[in-house]
Amino acid sequence: MGILFQIAVRNLIAAKRRSAMLGSALAAVTLLLVVLLSLSQGITDNMIRSATALSSGHVNVAGFFKMSATQSAPIVSDAPRIREIVKENVPGAVHVNARHRGWGKLVSESGSLQAGFNGIVLAEEPLFSEVVQLAKESEYKEGGRDEVIGDLSGLSQPGSVLIFASQAKRLEVGVGDALTITTETLRGNRNTTDVTVVAIGRDMGFLSNWSVFLPRETILDLYGLKPETTGSVQIFLEDEAQSEATMAHLRGVLEAEGFILMEHQAVPFWAKFENVNNEDWTGQKLDLTTWEDEVSYLTWVVRGLDTISFFLIAILVFIIAVGIMNTMVISVRERTREIGTLRAVGMPRVKVLWMILIEALVLGAVASSVGALAGAALCLGIDAAAVEVPSDAVRVILLSDTLHLVVVPRQIATAIVVFTAITGLASLVPAFRASRLQPITAMQSI
Amino acid sequence: MEDSVPMSAIVTLSDVKKDYPLGKLTVRALKGIDLTISTGEFTTIAGPSGSGKTTLLNLVGCVDVATEGVVTVAGQETGKLSDRELTKLRLHKLGFIFQSFNLIPVLDMFQNVEFPLLLQGGMTKAERHKRVRDIVDRVGLTDQLRQRPNELSGGQRQRVAIARALVTKPQIVLADEPTANLDSATGSSIIDLMKEMNEQDQTTFIFSTHDPHVMERAGRIVKLVDGLVVAG
Ligand SMILES: Nc1ncnc2c1ncn2[C@@H]1O[C@H](COP(=O)(O)OP(=O)(O)OP(=O)(O)O)[C@@H](O)[C@H]1O
Ligand SMILES: [Mg+2]
Repeated sequence: MGILFQIAVRNLIAAKRRSAMLGSALAAVTLLLVVLLSLSQGITDNMIRSATALSSGHVNVAGFFKMSATQSAPIVSDAPRIREIVKENVPGAVHVNARHRGWGKLVSESGSLQAGFNGIVLAEEPLFSEVVQLAKESEYKEGGRDEVIGDLSGLSQPGSVLIFASQAKRLEVGVGDALTITTETLRGNRNTTDVTVVAIGRDMGFLSNWSVFLPRETILDLYGLKPETTGSVQIFLEDEAQSEATMAHLRGVLEAEGFILMEHQAVPFWAKFENVNNEDWTGQKLDLTTWEDEVSYLTWVVRGLDTISFFLIAILVFIIAVGIMNTMVISVRERTREIGTLRAVGMPRVKVLWMILIEALVLGAVASSVGALAGAALCLGIDAAAVEVPSDAVRVILLSDTLHLVVVPRQIATAIVVFTAITGLASLVPAFRASRLQPITAMQSI
Repeated sequence: MEDSVPMSAIVTLSDVKKDYPLGKLTVRALKGIDLTISTGEFTTIAGPSGSGKTTLLNLVGCVDVATEGVVTVAGQETGKLSDRELTKLRLHKLGFIFQSFNLIPVLDMFQNVEFPLLLQGGMTKAERHKRVRDIVDRVGLTDQLRQRPNELSGGQRQRVAIARALVTKPQIVLADEPTANLDSATGSSIIDLMKEMNEQDQTTFIFSTHDPHVMERAGRIVKLVDGLVVAG
């Protein structure tokens, strides 16, 4: 087999132009695939990071409380007990926190907007402080200073609020300005409170457009809630891949503890109000979700990108496969007499088949490796360069201001293996033809 | 010594006919050949163009099969063998020397000669290399071991081909016009070399030629005319 490999490699080198052309086409498609995969992975990564920082744990125990058949609130009435149960039954949890939820209006002197409220205890939110970056004043204010004003720690004081840059622009407010919050309470009363903007975060796409963050006490006051309530107990796991399993396990435990659970629905909590309001029950029901459920309205971005990538790559691969097939057919035809000679001196058919296959496989492996590695390098470069995303709409979808690409070595390896295999498959026909060449062709002297 | 060695038949053809399809017609290239060649013979197949020399050599070389009649090569009736068995027969019992040398262009001289041994398998690297070096020595090309075919002259290439044909110590070496692409002096030296190998190893040589000077050197001349043996 060593000699077959040598013959194959040397024939590839001998047909320099042809190998180079086919090789670069294959390398280019591999590169494109790696970039698309890394982009998809980058968006997914952003999504997990922003979702888990802004609106979800890896697993959430939330719930609805209904005062009457038609009125529901996103409330868990006995948070301490649930936290206790989580602590005892989820050994893989690295962190647990609780957040209140609400919905209402933010009003400034020059504008207003609707937003979801998150009541947080800053001290128990290490990830939040890590992921939310503060915007420079110039990012939300015409002629603003090129520096960050305010800081997150202000959120530990009651009556404070963190908003995001695009909200600050619309409301025309800066750090230190006051906002009025209006909401409806559980009982349907209108309630109002004044808060001070203590920090303005950088936009994080979809997720930050609709969210503001307040200290927990402010939410409790606003809605007149008891201190043992919360909106959602968020559980962060050592291994996020365990989210589904952990949720399933917790469901069993909570049911055994006597809680009533809603059926699992893979949508975020705010998409459930309508159903819940139409259901004929009162009191407390718990609702467990994973982070993927909470951002399910965003996963179409990744799915869409993946689908487009798949078809694009499939078409390109098909074209290249046809190219490989043709090239190998030509290559075999040019070497008819040589192959005939090999057969005449005693080379079995199967070795001829392998000789041609190896030639294609070597070309495929080298070209796709070069393409994949170049693609990986390109992705790492783009990621490191923190290239600004030009369009606002695209930023919202990508959940980031800058292009984020994540190179997954396993994907690179898979791309190389798959492309090499495709090259091999494409050359099966010419290889088979070569193996059927008659030794007598060696005798024909031209 | 020649007389004391029992002469056994290594190739026999009895009433061999070979047809080629040519459009709707068939051309009968061989019209009933009876021929026996004994071990150690140095035989040339002579005859005018189109008389069937190549056709005959192809049948003996197991790269083609007769339409009618029986061809026996090294004790095996070729008409009864599968492609796999014919391939094996060629690899182990036959050696080929081609008119246009037919070396593998991407392999160097040493590798070209070594190639049939690699196909055969079953030898250590050291044994193989010794075998290749010995035969390359005998054809006088020790200094060109690492040269590719396109760096060698026609005569040198044919010497490589002879080395490749002989490296497996085959029983029969077949050559269809081995000197046709060489000038007469070089061609003559190639025939000398073949003769030498034939005498030293008792390898049977069957080759075809148009060249009367080459014919003279053969131990036996089988003359074909129009698909039939007319002499020898
Ligand atoms: N593949 C083929 N298809 C059809 N006819 C063929 C084929 N090969 C040989 N023939 C015919 O068979 C006859 C014998 O040809 P062959 O090649 O054996 O002659 P030759 O003695 O080798 O001639 P030359 O000295 O020109 O090489 C010729 O009439 C030739 O035209
Ligand atoms: Mg001929």
